[in-house]
Amino acid sequence: MLVVLSITLMVVDARFTLLKPFRSQMGLVLMPSYLVTDLPQRLWQGVASQFGSRTELAAENEKLKTEALLLQGRLQKLAALTEQNVRLRELLNSSALVNEKVEVAELIGVDPNPFTHRILINKGERDGVVLGQPVLDARGLMGQVVELMPYTARVLLLTDTTHSIPVQVNRNGLRAIASGTGNPERLELRHVADTADIKEGDLLVSSGLGQRFPAGYPVATVKEVIHDSGQPFAIVRAIPTAALNRSRYLLLVFTDSRSPEQRASDAAIAQEEADRQGLPGAASATVPATAPALVPSAAVPSPAVAVPAVPAPAAPAATPGAPVISRERH
Amino acid sequence: MVSTRNSNGWVVWLSFAIGMLLSVSPMPAFAEVFRPMWLALLLAFWTLALPHRVGMTTAFVLGLAEDVLYGTLLGQNALVLTLITFLVLSLQQRLRMFPMWQQSLVILVIFGIAQLIQLWLSALTGNRLPTLALIWSAVISALLWPWISYGLRGLRRRLSIN
Repeated sequence: MLVVLSITLMVVDARFTLLKPFRSQMGLVLMPSYLVTDLPQRLWQGVASQFGSRTELAAENEKLKTEALLLQGRLQKLAALTEQNVRLRELLNSSALVNEKVEVAELIGVDPNPFTHRILINKGERDGVVLGQPVLDARGLMGQVVELMPYTARVLLLTDTTHSIPVQVNRNGLRAIASGTGNPERLELRHVADTADIKEGDLLVSSGLGQRFPAGYPVATVKEVIHDSGQPFAIVRAIPTAALNRSRYLLLVFTDSRSPEQRASDAAIAQEEADRQGLPGAASATVPATAPALVPSAAVPSPAVAVPAVPAPAAPAATPGAPVISRERH
Repeated sequence: MVSTRNSNGWVVWLSFAIGMLLSVSPMPAFAEVFRPMWLALLLAFWTLALPHRVGMTTAFVLGLAEDVLYGTLLGQNALVLTLITFLVLSLQQRLRMFPMWQQSLVILVIFGIAQLIQLWLSALTGNRLPTLALIWSAVISALLWPWISYGLRGLRRRLSIN
């Protein structure tokens, strides 16, 4: 009887979301056991930091200061580059990059099963974590959230055998899919043509094509490319840039909460707005028919709706892209 | 269920709680394969010692707890633990008479079967590499059985748990 019950439970859990609340409530009760088993390690770290020698601390402080200086130097450049990127994107009329927010989470446990690569973090549903949320460490992408509990969440790492992530070669934009192998130091690129331009040392970044991970985060560096004439595809092995089995502090990325469809429609509306603004004479014939229907449903605030009236007199003389830029700078 | 107040039943549950902690305690990566099946060992002992107290329902509930801890499908470990308890219960009368090394062998076989079913279930749900390394934890558990058994028996006598 219990066997039937457990089989039913398994099927229900696999196919439907009915049991999720029950699961997360049980998780609330049971997850502290990971914290308890983690206690000795924590205590040890606390003791070690208590008795850390002064010279060591001074050295670390020095190192961190230099690092901060370097990073700040890079950040100055980044601001200018971001600005430039936004302007270039405006010129190309492509949708703007989304600014992502991050939050720090701490690792509290590792999955006891040696054949899966999953970890537990100390942020959960109550902290605003959502299913499928990307997780980073200081060096690159680590994985995504697969299970939510009230105060904890389970993260599937990139190297799990069931995980794949769309990537592209940073050097030339070549797209591929990186699959986990079950080895924490190894990813494999599937179905890469034998003649593809990919070589050892290439940086692979997330391409954002799966609409799960944000684009542009480093994922792995290519370790070896094996061309075997007996195989239809090249064998490409890569090492994840993130320290998947060593990082203790992780970053949760909060991306745009809108769905891709919503984002696309918002982008389309913004585009239309820009077009109308740029070519009031040409667009006025077609736009007014659709505009009343579109504008109320869009998330565009009312000042933005009022904008087209202002630059209209200057617009016919200018190029279509120009008013957009001037508006962005304010 | 015997409802005597002074039967020290809490020790059984305390041992299960400790077993649960042990089953998620961090271990070096190479040793993960050899992690003993703590909950199954404890269940086997208590079903042998106190069959009127610990039975299939206990196993089922503990299995559900383990599922939540491990993040497997709800019911997977419950099924495996229930099966182990069923096998132990059905062999109970004979198993109690066996010398320790024979008990260990029987435990090895039972846990081996359970791990095979575990392997099969996880292959069905597409979660793991189908490898026979899972059997190692059954072997380690069987090797640990005499110690668990003697230790808990001493505890049981001293605290007169029944």
